[in-house]
Amino acid sequence: MNNRFSKNILIVVSILCAFLIIISYMQSSLLDPVRHYAGYILTPIQSGISTFGNAVAGDIEENRHLHNVYKENEQLTERISVLTEENNRLRSETQELQRLRELYKLDQTYMQYPKVAARVIARDSQKWFRVFRLDKGLADGIQKDMNVICSGGLVGIVTEVGANYCTVRSIIDDESNVYSESQYSGDTCLVKGNITSYEQGTLDITNISKDAVFNDGDAVVTSSLSTKFLPGILIGYASDINIDSQHLTKSGKLIPVADFEKIKEVLIITTIKTDSGLVDTGVGEVGEVTETEETEETEETEEAEDIPQGEKNTSDGELDIDISSEEEGT
Amino acid sequence: MRIGIIVKRISIYFLLILAAFLMQTCVFPILGFLSATPNLILIITFSYGYIYGTMTGMICGFFAGLLMDLFYPEAFGLFILFYSYLGFFSGLFSKQLKNDSLIFPLILCTVNELVYNGALLCYRFIAVGRMNIIYSIFKVIIPELFFTLIITIIAYRILLNTNRKLDKIDNIRGKNVA
Repeated sequence: MNNRFSKNILIVVSILCAFLIIISYMQSSLLDPVRHYAGYILTPIQSGISTFGNAVAGDIEENRHLHNVYKENEQLTERISVLTEENNRLRSETQELQRLRELYKLDQTYMQYPKVAARVIARDSQKWFRVFRLDKGLADGIQKDMNVICSGGLVGIVTEVGANYCTVRSIIDDESNVYSESQYSGDTCLVKGNITSYEQGTLDITNISKDAVFNDGDAVVTSSLSTKFLPGILIGYASDINIDSQHLTKSGKLIPVADFEKIKEVLIITTIKTDSGLVDTGVGEVGEVTETEETEETEETEEAEDIPQGEKNTSDGELDIDISSEEEGT
Repeated sequence: MRIGIIVKRISIYFLLILAAFLMQTCVFPILGFLSATPNLILIITFSYGYIYGTMTGMICGFFAGLLMDLFYPEAFGLFILFYSYLGFFSGLFSKQLKNDSLIFPLILCTVNELVYNGALLCYRFIAVGRMNIIYSIFKVIIPELFFTLIITIIAYRILLNTNRKLDKIDNIRGKNVA
């Protein structure tokens, strides 16, 4: 008796679900409000719990790693001395690069995208989907298709936005395809997520033309061909590039820059790419939170000190002038 | 009087599944030493289905699916469908519940996990168009099954005993409750 009653209800539920699935396939935005309203309740709870969870997990991890830290510390001190030397050498090279860039009027656009920092408050527990949820939403000016980066590398793209949360599909998800290019040669390729490859910490690179110059270790950045990803964002470094069996294309692996297992804080780039070009939503601030920006500025100040007087006069960058005036002030 | 009890029960199910869902999405993924996360909401769904029958299993499955649907940017209704069927399916075996034996719940857990992950595998194959089946079985399904089975051993007993106490308070028999 009870079984028959619930069987009827099961049929009703099945029909309802089938209907909903069809609707969400035909017009996915129609059901978004449902998720948005649920977000009002779920997001604050998830935010609180993940803060608590992070604290607890942090303690556990700390204890586990403490004994490794001493050993690591010794190794790192050694490395610092090596790196300091290397840094000095590189600094002089950056100086040269800076001058050349000004000559070519090149702009390091990637660093100039405005960004907003966000925290990961929930992620999928199963390995089928590679999505996670951030604590910034419409109220903070986040929109669909904004790019998300972490520790200098592309992480994913915002697929859905609620009032106070947004969902990000990471580039290691099976459904993810990113048009990219080699930073060195400009030859295009397609970076695909693949759960099998990700087990070895890599993504797949495919669709490289047979004649393209694509070497192991080349930096792979997002291409301007992509419809949703902003150009020039670093994804990772190519490896194992080989010619495919049909001898028409090359493919290989990509070692991503971002560490997808340990994502806690990310940066959302608030510039959106549309058909008509890049649109700045005017939300984020340029250089907010990023370490790279700060270091770049300090480098520039030091460079300005290093550059002989004659050369400084030739460079007509505003920043240099500011610094020189400051120097005069002090 | 009876409606009051039903409403109370349904809200208990909902809160329990919500708590499990939050554990699953906010706490477990942070713990780096777990190679897979146990599927807590599945445990609750099939346990209630097994203890109380098809109707309860379906209600729990509905809530579990709803939360999953709200979280994932996939087709809405997909998880409600999966979980409702799993709850109903587990409820069909509620007549087997005679003692505290763990064997049947563990079998149910295995079957549920396999059916659920198999369905997801098919869905992913349709959505993405390619799928490494052997990898999925060994790296996704089996680790998850293992952890879920371990948690079932602990959680099932707790659920069963708490519900017996609740039944005593509400003065009803174990079966035929919403």
